[in-house]
Amino acid sequence: MESPLYAIRGLTHVYRGKPVLSIDRLDLPRGGIVGVIGPNGSGKSTFLRLAGFVERPTAGEVLFDGKPASPFSPEVRNRVTLLPQEPFLMKRTVLNNVAYGLRIRKASDHLAERVDKALSYVGLDGKDFAQRPSYALSGGEAQRVALAARLVLKPEVLLMDEPTASIDALSAQLIKDAVLKARRDWGTTLIVASHDWQWLYGICDTVFHLLKGRFLGTGRENILFGPWERVENGQWGKRLADGQQLLVPKPPEALAAAVIENVTIMPQAEPVSGAAGQVTLSGLITRLALEKASGSIVVSVLVANLPFTATLTEHQVRNHELYPGRMVAIRYNLNSVKWV
Amino acid sequence: MDFLLQGFFKAIELLTTGDPETFSAVYATLVVSAYSLAVTLALGLPLGFCLGYFDFSIKKQVRVVVDTLLSLPTVFIGLLVYAFFTNRGPLGEWGLLFTLSGIAVGLTILALPVVIALSATAVESMDRQLRVALISLGANRQQLVLSTLWEARHGIIAAGLTAYGRVMTEVGIAMMVGGNIKWQTRTITTAIALETNKGEFAMGIALGLVLLMIAFGVNVSVSFLRKRY
Repeated sequence: MESPLYAIRGLTHVYRGKPVLSIDRLDLPRGGIVGVIGPNGSGKSTFLRLAGFVERPTAGEVLFDGKPASPFSPEVRNRVTLLPQEPFLMKRTVLNNVAYGLRIRKASDHLAERVDKALSYVGLDGKDFAQRPSYALSGGEAQRVALAARLVLKPEVLLMDEPTASIDALSAQLIKDAVLKARRDWGTTLIVASHDWQWLYGICDTVFHLLKGRFLGTGRENILFGPWERVENGQWGKRLADGQQLLVPKPPEALAAAVIENVTIMPQAEPVSGAAGQVTLSGLITRLALEKASGSIVVSVLVANLPFTATLTEHQVRNHELYPGRMVAIRYNLNSVKWV
Repeated sequence: MDFLLQGFFKAIELLTTGDPETFSAVYATLVVSAYSLAVTLALGLPLGFCLGYFDFSIKKQVRVVVDTLLSLPTVFIGLLVYAFFTNRGPLGEWGLLFTLSGIAVGLTILALPVVIALSATAVESMDRQLRVALISLGANRQQLVLSTLWEARHGIIAAGLTAYGRVMTEVGIAMMVGGNIKWQTRTITTAIALETNKGEFAMGIALGLVLLMIAFGVNVSVSFLRKRY
């Protein structure tokens, strides 16, 4: 079996005395596309900075290619690159920004040509953009130039933090195309944190869910946040905006987060029998996304204002005639609810 | 007001005819300001970078001390340097009293807090994402420092200009440590003070014009470099 590219062991990262990331053990494969999803503040950016060797973890170690690595390590310095959420361009022309990484590697042969090619990867015309100062770029152009500055290095690992957030649809599509081309052409391992679930499920071999600084698994889990209160019959839960009741077992604390792994989806036209210990809610299908790795279809259902996801086979989706805009019933077992 | 006008025309004459006394003071000023600025930048930029870039436990206290030193009175610096360099002083054997080198030492003490404080501010005001961007593009520690300084270049140039302005126009240190010796340690500012006391306005105005021209030349050069880089 091939050794993992990343092997993270006993990692803890603390920021101003507060633990923000804790990973007991995590292996990431070589050449794969790994997605990281999670709410704001869940530790996604911290994880990417640590995996991008921009910061050193407070405790634990990150093995890269079997060797312990840290910021400035020769093992990773020219192999791993991170595209942060807010692209930072230096006070230089686009050409000099994109060429920076090559120059510090003393790889200045055919510089203009290579910069031109990298810019074309992200849909920018080198003749038009190369001599522009960085301050004369729009947000989407700046993000694409920042990506070109990474792609020109032909990195072994490219980590991206919300690469398509707060940019226009065209720029987002060009960025998505460019990173997939990098994967195809050079076998670059991609690690992407994004809110764009549809895209992540579409391209990733593995998707991890990160919550409160901990990896929860495959990203298919439904995570529900408190506050929880006693509702009818002494049960715990919360009343949703449309009047339905979301029931959970007794929470450890009022603001605990509940994780529900298995949610069943049924067409609402069918009679729904609520067996003991099972909760059934009514919701609207908002989207279907193909999960590339398994060929399954991820169905997103909005119950009042809460999003749920379930993974179904193509046969089940067709059989139940599930499509966006259709009202369906979702069901989960109270015993399957876990607290984090 | 006539004496001012006459002084102005006399100044033009002194400068265009290459008056040796005037040019001796100009030379002394350029030498001491160049030496002191070179040493100040060599010491002040690394210290300013460290103060602006790194977080350490007594950073605020160090910052307060540096900011306080910005308003150090020049005559006090002159007094201290004089006390150290006089024959009875701890550094008397170096023989720096009443020399251009002695003046340069005093001016360096004057300009150092200016360069440290302003370059620290310039580095501190850089976007925190710069570090992430540089490391993720493969910069090593040395390249990280140099690239950060380059990104903060406009603020650092402003620090250098401010320091140069202070050392060029300083009179207290030059007078006390240099002794205002004709042909030796007489700088433009000490000469202006002397000539004004003697009622020789022409010489004073001529030297004042030279100071202005040097300042103008430096600023034009810096402005040109800023546009280019």
